[in-house]
Amino acid sequence: MAQIFDRSSNALARASLVLTGLIVIALGVTLDQLQRSPWVTRQGQRADQPVPFSHKHHVEGLGLQCQYCHTSVEKSSYAGIPPTRTCMNCHAQIWTNANLLEPVRESWASGQSLVWTKIHDLPDYAYFSHEIHVNKGLGCSSCHGRVDEMPIMYQQNTLQMEWCLNCHRNPAVNLRPTSEIYNMAWKPASDLNPVWCAAVDAKPGTPTAGTVSCTTTNPGGGTGAGGSEQASLHLIPAANAQVTDAPAGAMAAPQLNYTKFTSQEALGQFLIEHYHIRSPRELSSCEVCHR
Amino acid sequence: MREQSTEHSAQGAVGDANEMQQGNQGTKLTLAQVRAKLAGQKGKRYWRSIDELAGTPEFEAAVREEFPEQASEWIDTVSRRSFLKVMGASMALAGLAGCTKQPDEPIYPYVKAPEDLILGKPVYFATAFPFATGAVPLLVKSDAYRPVKVDGNPEHPYNRGGSDPITQGTLLDLYDPDRSQRVMHRGESSTWPVFLANFRGALADKKASGGEGLAVLSSTVTSPTLARQWKAAQAAYPKAKFVQYDPVNRDSAYTASKAAFGDYVDAQYKLDAADVIVSLDADFLSGAAHPGFHRLAKDYAKKRKLEGAKSGDYGMNRLYAVECMTTTTGLKADHRLALRASDIPAFAAALAAAVGAVSAPSGYTWSSDAEAFLKFAAEDLKANGGKCVVIPGELQTPAVHLAAIAINQALGNVGKTVIYTETVNPLPSIQGDDLKSLVADMNAGKVDYLLILNANPVYSAPVDLEFEDAMGKVKSVAHLGSHYDETGRAVEWHVNSAHYLESWSDARAYDGTVSVVQPMIDPLYGGHTAHEFLQSFLDNPDISAYAAVRETWKDKTPGKASDADFGWRKVLHDGWIADTAFTSKSAGGKAQVPAPAAQVGLDTLEVVFRPDPNVYDGRYANVGWLQEIPRPVTNVSWDNAALMSYATLERLGLEEQNIVEITLNGKKVLAPAMAVPGHADGSITLHLGQGRMAGRVSGGVGFDAYQIRPSGSPLHATGATVKKMPGTWGFAVTKSHYQDHRSVAVGGDGSGTHSIEGNEAIDRGIIRWATLEEFKKEPEFAHTGEGRDVPEPTTSMFPSYLYNQNAWGMSIDMNSCVGCNACVVSCYAENNIPVVGKQQVRIGRMMQWLRIDTYYEGDLAAPRAHFQPMACQHCEHAPCEQVCPVGATVHTPEGLNMMVYNRCVGTRYCSNNCPYKVRRFNFLLYADYETESLKLMRNPDVSVRSRGVMEKCSYCVQRITAAKIQADKENRLIRDGEVVTACQQACPTDAIVFGNINDGNSRVAKLKKEERSYGVLADISTQPRTTYVAEVLNLNEELSKARGEFAS
Repeated sequence: MAQIFDRSSNALARASLVLTGLIVIALGVTLDQLQRSPWVTRQGQRADQPVPFSHKHHVEGLGLQCQYCHTSVEKSSYAGIPPTRTCMNCHAQIWTNANLLEPVRESWASGQSLVWTKIHDLPDYAYFSHEIHVNKGLGCSSCHGRVDEMPIMYQQNTLQMEWCLNCHRNPAVNLRPTSEIYNMAWKPASDLNPVWCAAVDAKPGTPTAGTVSCTTTNPGGGTGAGGSEQASLHLIPAANAQVTDAPAGAMAAPQLNYTKFTSQEALGQFLIEHYHIRSPRELSSCEVCHR
Repeated sequence: MREQSTEHSAQGAVGDANEMQQGNQGTKLTLAQVRAKLAGQKGKRYWRSIDELAGTPEFEAAVREEFPEQASEWIDTVSRRSFLKVMGASMALAGLAGCTKQPDEPIYPYVKAPEDLILGKPVYFATAFPFATGAVPLLVKSDAYRPVKVDGNPEHPYNRGGSDPITQGTLLDLYDPDRSQRVMHRGESSTWPVFLANFRGALADKKASGGEGLAVLSSTVTSPTLARQWKAAQAAYPKAKFVQYDPVNRDSAYTASKAAFGDYVDAQYKLDAADVIVSLDADFLSGAAHPGFHRLAKDYAKKRKLEGAKSGDYGMNRLYAVECMTTTTGLKADHRLALRASDIPAFAAALAAAVGAVSAPSGYTWSSDAEAFLKFAAEDLKANGGKCVVIPGELQTPAVHLAAIAINQALGNVGKTVIYTETVNPLPSIQGDDLKSLVADMNAGKVDYLLILNANPVYSAPVDLEFEDAMGKVKSVAHLGSHYDETGRAVEWHVNSAHYLESWSDARAYDGTVSVVQPMIDPLYGGHTAHEFLQSFLDNPDISAYAAVRETWKDKTPGKASDADFGWRKVLHDGWIADTAFTSKSAGGKAQVPAPAAQVGLDTLEVVFRPDPNVYDGRYANVGWLQEIPRPVTNVSWDNAALMSYATLERLGLEEQNIVEITLNGKKVLAPAMAVPGHADGSITLHLGQGRMAGRVSGGVGFDAYQIRPSGSPLHATGATVKKMPGTWGFAVTKSHYQDHRSVAVGGDGSGTHSIEGNEAIDRGIIRWATLEEFKKEPEFAHTGEGRDVPEPTTSMFPSYLYNQNAWGMSIDMNSCVGCNACVVSCYAENNIPVVGKQQVRIGRMMQWLRIDTYYEGDLAAPRAHFQPMACQHCEHAPCEQVCPVGATVHTPEGLNMMVYNRCVGTRYCSNNCPYKVRRFNFLLYADYETESLKLMRNPDVSVRSRGVMEKCSYCVQRITAAKIQADKENRLIRDGEVVTACQQACPTDAIVFGNINDGNSRVAKLKKEERSYGVLADISTQPRTTYVAEVLNLNEELSKARGEFAS
């Protein structure tokens, strides 16, 4: 009886064994990548909105401050989406006949909400609070990216749990002085962008913003390299008075002992200490976000 | 398994061979044997349920399984191979399911945002819950203007933040999807303007004749403004008939006060000044059904906290209770006497005679036990003249109230522990008589337009009045009601009413303080209020309820020059109008105690009608929380029953769950029988409010006791007969649900006098208590004796955690807990706990995170009981954490034992390993994701759990996190008292204290240092974060001796 399988079958069998393994691995990798892909996370996707609102135009172009619209960002877990009335504050006067703004006028006239699609949409079982983040030195751009350069809003980061934990396990990399929270152009401290900070002798119970005084220009005189660039992008027109978050008394007190930080790690550690940021062990405990 | 049982027999042979074998070979004790064994038992031996004592097969089956019946066993015939195939496929699918993307979520911003609203931060508003026994002042948590939690107003002088189950349950009542949503005309949808035109037309027709043929029937008027409108309407239509009627009312108290003082007055009891309290069938510790519950419970508990014990100032009160149906008041009492309801008037008269208030009644014979009780209670009262008080039961006859008045007068208590004031209800009347006369008029054809306001007389009027037939003789009937109920369906016009959380009104608390009821939300279904109806009678019919309420109190809410609304706004902010509390009214006249009716023989059965502890007279029957929460004492969920003593059950030849036909005055009702420890013999208690036909929750629950309630004796009636019918009725009784298989192995001592769990309760010190004398001698009593040793924290094989800042802990005072269930309902509301329904409760799947365990002790006919609120103990070394294969239950850096719902895969190992049995599993999709109105009610800070997920008490972690964020923003530590758990907030007696045990100055840390503080099952080194403060009873030693209590 002739053999059913000739010699080449051995090679085929071996190859198929290897191939099966590879396929399983490839499938795993694909699924893993799929789960992290923009298709799932919506990273970078521009959703259809009733009005193609441009943050670039309103923030970079007109210089509106974030809180003009997102009023409760410092006070509540929810930053707030502006009511139609906020749009109409200006658009009752300018661009009153623009076609693009028809839905806004329609909403104003009918009393029906404008229906936006949520861009930064966390799952319902994750409880995120804007309030504590912006009060403890985490700026808008750290999570939302350069919103001032987005003609149409999109999600810059994955907003996945691993991304949250990256920071909760090592907050130092993203912390900045609370005076710089709304500064879209903020760059981490480095040799080119040094930051000078001084601890203010504050009583317990002083809000975080009053515990540290920071500046991006050398308080001892002279301009730091690159410091002026950052300062010029301040959304709050702070002119040259860079000491923006020290209490009034402290402003007048010249004896503050400024330290120059040329690395983000060092600045982050300084702020962790003075802003009383909880330890990574506490920050990455489950109940912080899930309950 | 086999080995174990052999070992057991061996042990049994060494020990109590005879009885152990009885236990092992399945020769179970009968209930009768248990009863006989328990008879006369005294001393600290505990039991939880009779089934358990007798070791019935049902009970044995129940304890074998973690969750009884069909819960954990794999009973499918699928082979291992195909099982694995299916599992593999589902695993793959589950993996894929994890890859789904979230759907797009829309945002609906405001068009014009309300001023001062910060979305995501709750706002609190003061209002009041107008209840027939007096308003409950409230502070309502509102999230984006949706009321999401109802709690007592912590600043109000009356309740100081306390609430009760019904008040807590009114939140679900607001969002009840079965609420009436439109105006109905003869069963067809109609509209308010059409009705109003018709109604005002009818009024206009009657105007000329002064309202001849017009009648208004309202539930008890609680609002002073409504009373003002009521009186004005009466003046405008002098011939119209205005009647109030509630099936549970204050007729007895009013009749007695009229007889004694010639006027309607309310009695306010000052328990903070009373050392001896005698309750004559007054259930003042179980809920708002008793007027002044919140204040009475708080003052009662204050005198039992033993705060000054270290300095030798014990200052403890002593409570004697005489009652028919066992209530939490009776079980909390230091001495309790079970008497038939019809004997209590005579006993009250005898007590009055014994303290020298009146002459003794004749023709009554008392048992020697009752004689002893009478003698020593009277002596105690006499010795404490001016520092004692006698409280009559609301649902006892006027004679009991008169006796109480006489005793309080004779002992000089008036002005000290009791004051007489104006009535809280602005229009006191004898409602039973008024209803009878209204029905007579209706039958005589004298009424041709009847307006029914917030009442449901077709369901709840006494059966012999045949209200529905009488209503048929009225040409036109209009009904205002929250539900399209029995009455609504039978009338021409039905109008949907607005809930109190949707409307303007006012009401007085028990102490007389006026609260303004302000709306929390626009009426969900455009409901209307009684104010609108009565205003229609007047010259300016369109004045709103808001304007009417402002008008009533304009003198009490003065403005300032700069701000005309200042006074009004202050009232709305504070929640009450200052200086409106009643002051003592000089109540002249002396109470004459009428001679009691002849004693009824024990063989004549008596039927006692009481409101249901949870759903009251039936108006809250459609509130799922209240239906599901086990009633105190009976632990029955989703039912009512013919409640009687074991002796009566036996005498009638019945067994529990038998269906019986109760006949009273020719009227019959079918009811399932149930035995209650400590119930008076020869008496059957029926709870009103069940047996509703309509409602997705209330429909088909229990039986309708109104079907035999006579108008002549609506409180209790004698001469009932009971016939056993075929069939049985399965109750959902929760008391034995939380057994543990461990207890089977441990075994009782087999004597049938205390149960397996009870055995552990004493051997391992789950319940620890002492008399005041014992406590004085040995303050450390909670830690002495066998089984009380707590292992050193270092004995664990697991490493200890380190807590730098906060370490949360709870202390529960067993002396203060009155078992009222307010905490349980509060927990439902705060934590979005689903309602599962009777069938699921029967198989042990109820979801309440917090339960109140009742441990009975002693004789079946005269037990004591101990209430122990039991929720997750947040063990330092938590057995559940060690066995979770997916890390879904974890220890936090502040010592909480947390559930991460998204990680949970539903193995239930954690629940298996939990010694306290406090974990709850979502066997099915219990959470209602569909019903729109319920979505509004949910607490947005807590996840709504889906199927297949374990859950349990989280120490209200959402509240801890909110406090942490606030404190971190302000760079300070969390203050003591800043985090209040939902159960703590609701507790009317402040039995629960929560806080940071790392802070030595916190209240909870101090309580944990008390010598009476102990941890439950701490001997297995779980190191529970919740500890209990052991109970101390203030016994009258002489009475105890005379009754032979605690002889051992």
